[in-house]
Amino acid sequence: MNREGKYNVVLIEPSEIIATGISAIIGNNPQFNVTQTSNDPTYYNSGNSDIDIVIINPTVVDYNDRLDIRSWLGAGNTALVALTHSNYEENVLRQYDECIGIYDNAARIIQKLRNAIEENNKSPKNDINELSSRERDILAAVAMGKTNKEIADEFNISIYTVISHRRNISQKLGINSIPGLTVYAIMNKLVDMSDFK
Amino acid sequence: MKKSTTIYNSRMKMADLVASDIGLLSILQRLNIRLGFGEATVAEVCAQHNISADLFLMICNIYSFRDYEPQIETLAGEDISSVTMYLRASHNYYRTICFPSLHNNIHRMVKELDDISRRLIDKFYDDYDSEVNNHFQYEEEVVFPYIEQLLNDSKKEHREYSISRFGHSHGNINEKLNDLSNIIIKYLSGEYASQLRFEILNEINSIGNDLLRHSDIENKLLVPLVEKIEMRYEQGR
Repeated sequence: MNREGKYNVVLIEPSEIIATGISAIIGNNPQFNVTQTSNDPTYYNSGNSDIDIVIINPTVVDYNDRLDIRSWLGAGNTALVALTHSNYEENVLRQYDECIGIYDNAARIIQKLRNAIEENNKSPKNDINELSSRERDILAAVAMGKTNKEIADEFNISIYTVISHRRNISQKLGINSIPGLTVYAIMNKLVDMSDFK
Repeated sequence: MKKSTTIYNSRMKMADLVASDIGLLSILQRLNIRLGFGEATVAEVCAQHNISADLFLMICNIYSFRDYEPQIETLAGEDISSVTMYLRASHNYYRTICFPSLHNNIHRMVKELDDISRRLIDKFYDDYDSEVNNHFQYEEEVVFPYIEQLLNDSKKEHREYSISRFGHSHGNINEKLNDLSNIIIKYLSGEYASQLRFEILNEINSIGNDLLRHSDIENKLLVPLVEKIEMRYEQGR
């Protein structure tokens, strides 16, 4: 957000006609401010933490990178909005917080930008692949063969919270089975091999 | 969702069918269908080998298209024996070819690892191996004999098994394979033998895909077919 409390928007769109149009619509709204427009995604400076929303046309991204747009762009915590002229596969669009179509009217576009900010706040994506220290503790307990109930008692949390932590751990690591998690936990020294003799 | 056979049909040449998805060769192999079919159609080859063409096409469709849902109404109870024959042969293929080769490669790979990682991966794989074998053994010693008995002996009053139990005990043996793959891709450090690792990952991927199809055939063909017969006996009693 800038000093006037406006959300800063970066627009990456190869068509000048469309880029100009969208910028005008967004610029007319007191809540938003377009700080850059570009047809080149590499121009986007991910180090700039003042940027709240990146609107990007997925065609400017190589097909293979489209499936992991957030890390490709280095967009970290920024809300991501797709600007589409045509249909995309669901797994491409799923990574965005919102999706603007070129036939959306001004009110709808602004509404979608607000949605994107809200959507992005709901699920903070920073350090998405790093386990939190709580998650590491719980993973260690899982690896030691403790049940959800035992873990809940030990950490003084509900079983549902344990299940939710375990789901997040598996999602981050790409490992679902208990033996697999155990291998990870020992290799990363979260637990000791001697516990398993 | 594909409702019925859309691409494959019984009037097409068997050679064309195989050419459209070379992976289907493994099905022919498991059903003991000999190659060299010349210009014969799918229907003709199936008739020669005493296999229902409908069933054969369903297996091919399940294999080639993951969202395909077979319409089992056209199948007869006796077709189940072809399904169990296929599944047994498929177990055999995993047991004698796929897993020994994977095991051998993993064994070579872990030699390069530090002591702890070696023991971890070895144990992980051995446990997995015995889990898979137990799974196959259970199907071969409990499930398939039950089905064969069901086909031969309609009056048996005291059946102790029901196929609904199969659904419950049918654990997902793909999960650990995926885990192993991710562990190798993401977490196994080391500069050695990366060619070997690529080979292992390819093997895991191809076994995993085949296993998925295998369990699709169990869930979409075997279980509904057996349920149909069970229901008939229930009502006939």
